[in-house]
Amino acid sequence: MRNRARFLVPLLAAGMVAAGCTSGGPAPAGQGATASAPAGGQAADPNSLPRNETLYTSGTQWGPPANFNPIREWDSATGTKGLAYETLFHYDPNAAKLVPWLAESGTWVDDKTYEVRLRQGVTWSDKQPLTAKDVVYTFELGKMKTIPYANLWDWLTSVEAVDDRTVKFSFSKANYQQWDFNLYSRSIVPQHIWNGRSEEDVLNGVNENPVGTGSYTYMSHDQDRVVWKKRDDWWGKAALNMDPKPRYIVDIVNSSNEVAMGLLLQKGLDMSNNFLPGAANLVKGNFGISTYYPEPPYMLSANTAWLVPNTTKKPMDDAEFRKALAYSVDTKKIVEGVYGNLVKAADPTGLLPQWDAYIDKTVTAEHGFSFDTAKAKKLLADAGYRDRDGDGLVENKDGSKINLKLIVPSGWTDWMEAIRVIAASAKESGINITPDFPDFNALVETRGSGKFDLVINNERQLSNTPWTYFDYVFQLPIRKTQNTVNFGRYENKEAWDLVQKLDQVKADDAEGMKAVTSQIEKIQLQEMPIIPLWYNGLWSQVSGTVWKNWPSSAAGTPKAAPAMWRNWLELGGFETVAQLQPVTP
Amino acid sequence: MTVLDTALPPSPPTVRREALYFALRNGKLLVGLGVITVFLATGLLGPMLVAASPNDYVGLPMQPPSSEHWFGTNTFGQDIFVQFVHGLRTTFAVGVLGGGLAAIIGMVVGFVAGYRGGLVDEVLNMLTNIILVIPTLAVLLIINAYLGIRSVGVQALFIGLTSWPWAARAIRAQTFSLRSREFVDLARLSGARAWKIIVREIAPNMSSYLFMTFILLFGGSILIASSLDFIGLGPTEGVSLGLMLQNAHQWSALHLGLWWWFIPPGAGITAVVGALYVANVGLDEVFNPKLRET
Amino acid sequence: MRQYFGRKLLVYGLTFFVAVTINWMIPRFMPGDPVASMLARARVSQPEAVEAMRLYYTNLFGFDQPVWKQYLNFWAALLQGDFGISVWVFPTPVSTVIMGAVPYTLGLMIPAVLLSYFVGNRLGAFAARRKVLDNTVLPVGYVLTAMPYMWLAVILAWGLGVVAGLFPVAGGYSFAMRPNWSPQFVGDLLLHWFLPFSSLFLVALGGWAIGMRNMIIYELESDYSNYLAALGAPQRLIRRYAFRNAILPQITGLALQLGVLVAGALVTEIVFSYPGLGSLILKAIQNQDLFLLQGTFLFIVLGVLIANFVIDVVYVVVDPRTRTGMAGASA
Repeated sequence: MRNRARFLVPLLAAGMVAAGCTSGGPAPAGQGATASAPAGGQAADPNSLPRNETLYTSGTQWGPPANFNPIREWDSATGTKGLAYETLFHYDPNAAKLVPWLAESGTWVDDKTYEVRLRQGVTWSDKQPLTAKDVVYTFELGKMKTIPYANLWDWLTSVEAVDDRTVKFSFSKANYQQWDFNLYSRSIVPQHIWNGRSEEDVLNGVNENPVGTGSYTYMSHDQDRVVWKKRDDWWGKAALNMDPKPRYIVDIVNSSNEVAMGLLLQKGLDMSNNFLPGAANLVKGNFGISTYYPEPPYMLSANTAWLVPNTTKKPMDDAEFRKALAYSVDTKKIVEGVYGNLVKAADPTGLLPQWDAYIDKTVTAEHGFSFDTAKAKKLLADAGYRDRDGDGLVENKDGSKINLKLIVPSGWTDWMEAIRVIAASAKESGINITPDFPDFNALVETRGSGKFDLVINNERQLSNTPWTYFDYVFQLPIRKTQNTVNFGRYENKEAWDLVQKLDQVKADDAEGMKAVTSQIEKIQLQEMPIIPLWYNGLWSQVSGTVWKNWPSSAAGTPKAAPAMWRNWLELGGFETVAQLQPVTP
Repeated sequence: MTVLDTALPPSPPTVRREALYFALRNGKLLVGLGVITVFLATGLLGPMLVAASPNDYVGLPMQPPSSEHWFGTNTFGQDIFVQFVHGLRTTFAVGVLGGGLAAIIGMVVGFVAGYRGGLVDEVLNMLTNIILVIPTLAVLLIINAYLGIRSVGVQALFIGLTSWPWAARAIRAQTFSLRSREFVDLARLSGARAWKIIVREIAPNMSSYLFMTFILLFGGSILIASSLDFIGLGPTEGVSLGLMLQNAHQWSALHLGLWWWFIPPGAGITAVVGALYVANVGLDEVFNPKLRET
Repeated sequence: MRQYFGRKLLVYGLTFFVAVTINWMIPRFMPGDPVASMLARARVSQPEAVEAMRLYYTNLFGFDQPVWKQYLNFWAALLQGDFGISVWVFPTPVSTVIMGAVPYTLGLMIPAVLLSYFVGNRLGAFAARRKVLDNTVLPVGYVLTAMPYMWLAVILAWGLGVVAGLFPVAGGYSFAMRPNWSPQFVGDLLLHWFLPFSSLFLVALGGWAIGMRNMIIYELESDYSNYLAALGAPQRLIRRYAFRNAILPQITGLALQLGVLVAGALVTEIVFSYPGLGSLILKAIQNQDLFLLQGTFLFIVLGVLIANFVIDVVYVVVDPRTRTGMAGASA
């Protein structure tokens, strides 16, 4: 035993010496510069990537890269869709229009027929050309019931390849708004490789070595990262005049937000799409970190956080009570106290700033709400909710006590903090709310089955159309479990008809859309089926050490949405990457 | 590593006064008890003296310590000193409840096994060994993750239920050695019932030992609870020192340089647990003349 | 001696049985439904699709079978090394995920435990009854051993990592690299290893030093020491005997402390996001991945049992008395 001790101590000493030698900071990546591989070759040393040619991102993956299957839009490795696989179009939220991508153009040849013309010269990473057959194959996958876009076939009747570069879609009902969403959301997969895959394989396959049309190809992955390598023969170099500078993109799996902050500060990370508490301090301090705006709210808005009341339960089945609840929430305190001004209070309609044109200001002026304890009290009193036992909290109309549970998943610290604020401010108005933090599983179950009282949710993201938001609020029919929309089980046939009507307004008919949205908004604000609270940011903190020309509000910089999040690469994420410039060329 | 593995000579009553004499002159004991008293008083009286509730947003966020906020404020503008005094209270509560419960279970199992011997001993000993070998934190992780521990009381309960085995084993060994002493035989001959013999004859003769066991379990409970809190399996209501550490870590206090957020809670735990250990050694020296400084 | 080991093995066997049963039982009483959470993550709303997926997953996880059969299946699968499929990294087998993390945990724990044990015992033995040393080792030891592991880890990360910038504060190795045996990578590995190792080492060190110091004092005050002293034996000799006797309870102590050390390693890993079992457990908890949590739990229990057994063997080797058939009732 004694001998072993003598053996181990020098070992430790050796370890310390070794540690001391390389302690100059993160590993000297510059030494790996021999790795500037010949064009298109596979010879790059995968063990050590040159720092000045590599873009490090984080904030999307919360678990080891599980698959490279573009059908699994919810858990495939970052970049599977966007870097490797591509869609027919991209969407530019600033210009509010589709940007032709794999498609050269797309037109409604009549009210129920849509024709896509593909670009010439697009090749898969195995050098095969992209043809109309691939597009047909991709959309026909939706005939399998387990594919995320299976419901497309409720109103799509056929997809045909007219010739090598033309695809014709025929519809039984033309849902123009939804269709545009599909155009930039569905990854086109290669028929010559995928043909013959079983439903099981298509849905659950890992799809190692993905073959896509995109500008990057798969290089390697580990438990904590995925590495993409630039494709030198990418079609977009000529067709789009885009040439992304990072030779490698490494997306790091989040272990926690504070780790991301540490990496960002130690210059190991170029873009962090994590929610970093205190990011405002980083921007103001001398850390070399910047965000889209140099001042509050620092970030673009990505989605709305809603307070969802269960409208099948008393007293949330009463629109007057829901309105009073809306007036009772001190959103400002959440924005400033919990988030340190990293988010913005939401419009009464909940529509994101990008959809401002569709917010009818006369409607919101008349029916909108704001934090006003006195107004909330008055609404409650007028509707018959009175404090009968003198405890400062109102009772139901029949005199029974009100005790509502507001739930968010345990461990979601910012939301946990936020609902404490909500509960406290609701109490001021006399509404008894108790914050509760069930496990995510339990929360999902109660939320889906309609057993909850109040819940916070923000699952709908920015898209090409406010229709996706109204669909989220009003979708009917109510099913046994509500997995993605209308958690509050609010039933209003009139509103849902209007939402469907909106879906069938052509995307270029802004006035027609506004006419419908204004009607929907009026119902929404009068009925208050769901209460918008704040706009969650498109969290993005970037470091200018290795890469520059990041999107920002300053003049002369790109205005794309800087995010690697799922489904955001088509909304500006890829454009962000493509416009980066190395700091030292 | 605990001093309890070694047998103690049972102390006849005359030794008691002597023990008090040495206790008052034992530096370790006095320092340990002093520190514990100060923190206990802070935890008990502090929450009454500070007006704010620990989760109120009382000031500007991220302020360093000042005369207004003694320990500064955190990201939300909550007063860290207020949280600290409330957290101390929780920490002591977990220690007393968890440690107390473990001590009680440990004593019952230890006494019964040690006094009865035979099959009872075999079974209890087997049970003790099984629970002893299973890593406590791992069990608590599983239990807490699934059952969702959400209050300090339940947390203490589970800690108590899982951390008694070594105490049981130590007490069993002690009981074993006392069982065959004359005074126990005498009591047995006079027809006293088993539990009476245990309570009247055996337990008083190792009272110092039992007290020291409780102290170690007390400190252990605090450490286990703080680990659970830190992993995110702590109570969701209220504050504890472990939760403060977790919050500070999660909200990047490290990288934002808010040292006043993570130093106090850890220092508090270290001080309390360290004081308990030091007091324990002091007690050992008081009761065991051989250990006194020469 | 056969009886001694037989008894030990019986305890370990029973322990394993209990652990497996607890492991199997608890999820069945848990609120929430793992399949429901998978479906929610899939963001699919059509009823047919939801039903199809539910059926598929239920089948996969065996929730549709009678309870006793699930229990037997659980054992059968376990004996084949099949811990199920992770929900968090669906569809990777849990055993694969665990195996990826084990080297990091062992790489931290084994050196930290062994080194702290040897250094701590030496230090404690050396300090005992030596005024000046005792007065420094003792307080430092108490402060160290009373520290929550994660707090020391946070302090080290802050002081040496964030402020001084000497060490990286997160991860197992730099993101620019992939595991290989080049000196560059090994150096990077050591750099990331140093802080978590140090915090584990230091906290454990304090405990051993104090324990040993107290044991040595007991021994130095015992009759044989006094007798030796009376005979005029040199102090060095007495101390050597004391050390030999004191090391025995310390070996038992090591077995007793294993659980605590594992716990310490787990929280330390969490502070440094070190890619070992601790971080894995955190992920499993955060993602409600019950299969992964169970697998990790069983793996830790198994590891602790094996370590205990090794310690038993060492004890027998070191202590001549156990070799001659002491039944080991109190060992």
